[in-house]
Amino acid sequence: MCLAKARRILGIMLAATAIVTTIWLAVTHQLVLYIHPRYIVFTVIMAAVGLVFVIASFAVPAPRDESDEPKPRRLVRALSLVGIVTTLVIAIGMSVIPPATLTSATVSQRDINAMSVGANAKTVDAASAAPVGAFAKFSVLDWASLLRQTSDVSFYTGKPAEVIGFVTADPDDPQNVFYVSRFVITCCAVDAQPIGVPVYLEHWANTYTVDEWVDVTGQFAANPSRLSTLAVALNPASVTKIAQPSDPYIY
Amino acid sequence: MAGGESSGHAPYDSVVTTQLEQRAQHRHSHEMAPKRPARSRVFWLVVGLVGLAAIVVARAATSGKSGLALPNQLQDLLTLSVSVIIESLPFVVLGIVLSIVVQVWLPDGLLLRYLPTRPVLRRAAISMFGIFLPVCECGNVPLARGLMLKGFTVSESMTFLLAAPIVNPITIVTTHEAFGFSGGILVARLVGGLLIANVVGWLFSRHPDQNSLLSPGFAEQCRMPDHDHGDSRWQKSIDIFVREAGVIMPALFIGAVAAGAIQVVVPRTVLVALGSNPLWSIVAMMVLAFVIAVCSNVDAFFILPFANTFLPGSIVSFLVFGPIIDIKMLALMRTTFTTRVLVQLTVLVALMSALIGLVVNVFG
Repeated sequence: MCLAKARRILGIMLAATAIVTTIWLAVTHQLVLYIHPRYIVFTVIMAAVGLVFVIASFAVPAPRDESDEPKPRRLVRALSLVGIVTTLVIAIGMSVIPPATLTSATVSQRDINAMSVGANAKTVDAASAAPVGAFAKFSVLDWASLLRQTSDVSFYTGKPAEVIGFVTADPDDPQNVFYVSRFVITCCAVDAQPIGVPVYLEHWANTYTVDEWVDVTGQFAANPSRLSTLAVALNPASVTKIAQPSDPYIY
Repeated sequence: MAGGESSGHAPYDSVVTTQLEQRAQHRHSHEMAPKRPARSRVFWLVVGLVGLAAIVVARAATSGKSGLALPNQLQDLLTLSVSVIIESLPFVVLGIVLSIVVQVWLPDGLLLRYLPTRPVLRRAAISMFGIFLPVCECGNVPLARGLMLKGFTVSESMTFLLAAPIVNPITIVTTHEAFGFSGGILVARLVGGLLIANVVGWLFSRHPDQNSLLSPGFAEQCRMPDHDHGDSRWQKSIDIFVREAGVIMPALFIGAVAAGAIQVVVPRTVLVALGSNPLWSIVAMMVLAFVIAVCSNVDAFFILPFANTFLPGSIVSFLVFGPIIDIKMLALMRTTFTTRVLVQLTVLVALMSALIGLVVNVFG
């Protein structure tokens, strides 16, 4: 089989895998694990268009003039073989490995809470003016933005918090402090930024494991940890293990 | 992908024989197009559909199997790569469809007819094409290839390729949403992109042998006359889709893995630490753009969180350099241009983006 023909078959196979996976993810509501919800409609429409072409390509004979290509050098052949194997491995991974969110590995890679306060983040002024009940609805993102703006403990008194996220260890005091973390997505998982609310719980790792999803309620207080650089941490009243939510990312 | 080769049932062998016979005949009489008999077409249609079904079954059967989950870093590498592929896929399909429209459905010479004849003005006009095309850079490669096959010179097509992702309407809207007119970022991005595209187009137009800029495979394709053996337009459209998918999809997969792998390996803090120096922040932002390889349609949202730590000029460098050159784009453009051209292109565009960034940092 000549190279050009192999390339065509590979291209259609890869396109078919990507398209079918995309549609399957859309049908099972898991496309949000990879891209921002605003792209879903466009992505599904174009995947459907692609699928029509892929199916049509099965039935249409290949054009003739493609056996005239010069034989590539050995190095080029070896490189393209490596490339082909790489694409096939990804294609198999795409269609066999269960879809997953990003994990704590990416959190430590990207520095939690390195992101600056976004335009629509909660500001201290707005939060001070909010009615008492409103704090219960504040997300990890809201609290993380507030914690970046002020470490004044008195601001947090009388503002109980309930946050949902996955567990990652605080790099400075991994024994006693963990983050309830989430990823914030602007377009797709590639740009995910980790954010999190620190929780002070001595020897938390005896009960909870990293990457586990938890629901934490409590009250912010001065951080008792001597190693951690964080001034304020959540003093938990309850920490409940929960299943991963269907929309694990924040937008 | 599973079903394609592996479903070796009884009819498979007979069809392979007919195919071999056809190949033998093909060698004897080269003028005769090897038309697949209708029976074989139906067979391949069935094989293809079985293959598609096999992917669906594999996907559905393994979705709940937590035993198949990978260690964290590998899992994140896969998630990031798949994310790049899924995010780019619709734009790639749209790009191929537009390329098909240009090559097959538009009347011959329609695009060329109204263009100015003076090369400089002509390239300036071509660099504006992108305003009407909501396709980001990954979709532009197939389109640029289509334009070359339709009679554009290499440098003209390159001008289009460089400018289009930046002046594309979606990019303008998202950049405006992210930054408004603050810091001159939007204006600097548009002007910078058009400037780079026209200067680079002009430089490459001075090359005496335009075809030598192209990769051998693609140059071959350009030299071939518009092969018209009475195929219907639909048939030609499907041919182009298969050909472009064969070139773009492997490149996209490899670019996605490279982008994912570097993100898993290189800590982002290393880049961000460089943020506030007028020169180093520009270099850091360009390296970030190169590594991260997000589409131009959305890169403004991506870089917005860095806007407080980085100077506006370095943001502009990111927004000008990223759509033109990054890991994924180099993999995609390698399908069309020689390595030598890509090295020259990368150096040129990097220097010009850095210069534009510096101007904004110093005078902005």
